[in-house]
Amino acid sequence: MSEIFDFNGAKGSGWSQPEPMKKDAINTVPSSLRRSALPRWPRASEPELVRHYTWLSQRNFGIDTGFYPLGSCTMKHNPRINERIVQLPGIDRIHPLQPVHQIQGLLSIFYEMQEMLEICAGMDQVTLQPVAGAQGEFTAIRCIQEYHRQNGDIQRDKVIVPDSAHGTNPASAAMCGYEIVEIPSGDDGRLDLDALRAAVGEDTAAMMITNPSTLGIFEPDIAEAADIVHTAGGQMYYDGANFNAILGKTDPGRMGFDAVHYNLHKTFSQPHGGGGPGSGPIGVKSHLADFLPSPIADREETEEGGATGDGYRYFWRTPPNSIGKVQQWHGNSGAVVRAWAYYRRYGRELELMSEHAVLNANYLRHQIMNPNREHQNSIHSMPVDGAPTEVVKHEFTLSMMPLKETTGVTGKDIAKRLLDYGYMSPTLYFPMIVPECLMIEPTETESREVLDKFAEDFLTILSEDPEVIQTAPHTTDVRRVDEVLAARTLVLRKEFDD
Amino acid sequence: MDQLPNLGREQEMLASMGLKSIDDLFSDIPEDVRRIDPLPLRGPQSEEEIWADAQHLLGANIDLDSRPSFLSAGLARNFVPTMVPMLATRGEFLTSYTPYQPEVSQGMLQAMWEFQTMVSELVGLPVSNVSMYDASTAAAEAITTAVRVKGRKATQKGVVYVSQFVPPHRLSVIENYTQGVGIELRTLEHNSDGMVNLEAASAAAGACAVYVEQPNAFGELDEGITQMKEIIGENTALIVGVDAVSLGIVEAPGNYGADIVVGEGQPFGIGPTAGGPIYGLFACKKDYLRLMPGRIVGKTLDEDGNDAFTLTLSTREQHIRRHRATSNICSNETLIALMGAMHMALLGPEGLEKLALRVAATTEVTKQAISGIPGVELVDPNTPNFREFAVKLPGNAADAVAHMDAAGVLGGFPMGEWWDSMSSCLLIGCDERTKQSDIDALVSALTAWVEEVSA
Repeated sequence: MSEIFDFNGAKGSGWSQPEPMKKDAINTVPSSLRRSALPRWPRASEPELVRHYTWLSQRNFGIDTGFYPLGSCTMKHNPRINERIVQLPGIDRIHPLQPVHQIQGLLSIFYEMQEMLEICAGMDQVTLQPVAGAQGEFTAIRCIQEYHRQNGDIQRDKVIVPDSAHGTNPASAAMCGYEIVEIPSGDDGRLDLDALRAAVGEDTAAMMITNPSTLGIFEPDIAEAADIVHTAGGQMYYDGANFNAILGKTDPGRMGFDAVHYNLHKTFSQPHGGGGPGSGPIGVKSHLADFLPSPIADREETEEGGATGDGYRYFWRTPPNSIGKVQQWHGNSGAVVRAWAYYRRYGRELELMSEHAVLNANYLRHQIMNPNREHQNSIHSMPVDGAPTEVVKHEFTLSMMPLKETTGVTGKDIAKRLLDYGYMSPTLYFPMIVPECLMIEPTETESREVLDKFAEDFLTILSEDPEVIQTAPHTTDVRRVDEVLAARTLVLRKEFDD
Repeated sequence: MDQLPNLGREQEMLASMGLKSIDDLFSDIPEDVRRIDPLPLRGPQSEEEIWADAQHLLGANIDLDSRPSFLSAGLARNFVPTMVPMLATRGEFLTSYTPYQPEVSQGMLQAMWEFQTMVSELVGLPVSNVSMYDASTAAAEAITTAVRVKGRKATQKGVVYVSQFVPPHRLSVIENYTQGVGIELRTLEHNSDGMVNLEAASAAAGACAVYVEQPNAFGELDEGITQMKEIIGENTALIVGVDAVSLGIVEAPGNYGADIVVGEGQPFGIGPTAGGPIYGLFACKKDYLRLMPGRIVGKTLDEDGNDAFTLTLSTREQHIRRHRATSNICSNETLIALMGAMHMALLGPEGLEKLALRVAATTEVTKQAISGIPGVELVDPNTPNFREFAVKLPGNAADAVAHMDAAGVLGGFPMGEWWDSMSSCLLIGCDERTKQSDIDALVSALTAWVEEVSA
């Protein structure tokens, strides 16, 4: 294995730069503040680095490499036109504080995206500022907090989340200072209305929930849940991580929600880049709109035609009781522009995207749960469906508990074995209410052939020698990685000998 | 519909499941919440049409490279090496998720471990995460981290001193992140020459943390900050926000006692991009490791005893700890940090130093040229600057910017947008790409405005 610090042969810098405009510029730094020793960065030429990073890329699995059924993450294809567009100087070389007349095109895209997201979620006002789903949650809960404060409802210090919720929900609410009340799901994995009734009260600030749930099933009682929370004086927050399942079929506004976040890096194809960037706009009903972070793109008609020729002049607007800022600028504008390009591909046909996401999820679930005779005879134990409903939405969960009981093979072993077959593993051990859980989300951009092959390979693994599965992966760049050792030794950087 | 490989095959797939129509797949959505009418949106477009519209709309923007530009205010009009976007957008990097399965994610994990090392070396602290959203959230979460670590021993419970010159948009982020969790922000005063008031700083001893910026929002380098740790003591965390490029010539804060260093990573790796995606740097001493936010990569072994990388210390994080997590951050800015790592590696130590010297040089030349304009005064004439400096104008700075704009010069940032009391002050930002002809254009445009308002 080679590391970037192995490159230390070249003299000077690996990159050519013009000379400084002035020779003695170091004198601008007071001597007591001058750097004593330069950082030990590599000394590498461009050819060496191109090869290094190409090699690293080849040791990384992406959607482009193969099927990526990582539940809750919506790993759909990322259209390449998006990447071409964000290289344009009109986005790459733009400063967010430029006078608005210089960035009318950017503002018009922001405005169009706000409007589109409002329509899709049944909300009244969207801000594009939050830069990740978790930050969207945090931002919306902050707005709800200020709303309660303005109403004098300062005793509302609790946020309710179901036990199947994404970990970010309780974490985001706690960062606003809220106490978390976790309510157990019913036996069928669905929201338990009695548990909710018992949990709400004068101290309820909000409930945070995703629908379809993390089990991939639609909560049929959602409108009643919203009634219960609203009657108690709380606000309903919609975690939009699973928006890909319902776009155009229903929306959080109809379900009774007051606030929602969107993941542009899930539903709207901003590539996830190995851990970000994301983009987590939020939408709210009108009673929360005054609290949104600043600024929001707005427009007014102009007789001069406008810089983009659409008859409008665009500007930034600060809501009257704005919570201020959650990111220093206007959010991840580049992600917004990519999502805009993606949206333009579908336009009013966005619901096709959800239809195919749900079609693929149900099809794959059916293929796995209905093995042919040959598989039936050889499989050690079938998984148990995490939600015994007739249909699921965009994802489904499988419990590998029976397999563990009969063979000792865990969900994690299956996940690792799938890597040998050229697949990314499904989301593992989440939601926690399903034992030995694999959470599978195929997305709409996979063909039937890929789904058939995955189901076939998955069932084949279930009949393999347990020893082979438990020692997987066998064909990857490295074998099973010792995570315990990593946490014990904590080698978090290169240590140099000198 | 080119994005949907199963278009036209819905019926056969449905039939194999014993279903009749797509509607059957949505039959679990109760009728009272179902959307019946189509989305009132525009029609779909082809790639060609989208590209044309993108060119038209984004082409209506005036980009920084198209004219002399002196707008910085925390972002850099940099030059990103061509290699960087070309390699970072390789599909294996671009389309991967957070590396939960290390066996097939060694590439990104190793790149992030190398990034952590380079950031650690840059700021002089042993631990770095793989990025925060931006400098402001990095500063905000540095403060909450410091309060968690220093809270018990602090004599000023929950108190954090924040430099008076932290700009309002960054301060607002800090306020949002600290307001609900029992943290009291107090202002750390500066002297009239812009430098931190070290006597006032002594009042911060016993607080949980002090947050200062080096250089400050006026681009001023402050020698006093090197004495700060001695003044506030071991039980109070020193958090320093930096201009990352300046560290090619300015001492690493870890070497003068900083406990946590944060800053904008953007100058390394990506253009200003209308404010995002960019990435925040976050590095700290080892005592903060278990209570810090963000993803961290560790080096370990695989089953066969070979070197391998993996995410580690995830027991701090939301997916394990839920409401007791150190932060809600999960998606961060990894791909941009990867671009940063490529840029840093290409520069190398000498390239970094040269880059910093280039910025220092243009800052100094511009400063001299501007201070020669009659009626224009440096706000702090005797302080050293890096990248930015503030001047006081004989009138409203926003008017000056508008006037210069008409002359084709982006003359800087009117500081009245941050602080009402500074409406006559203009923040002028320079960078490695500032040319003599840009400076001449700025001097000429500003002189013309001064003459007009003074007439």
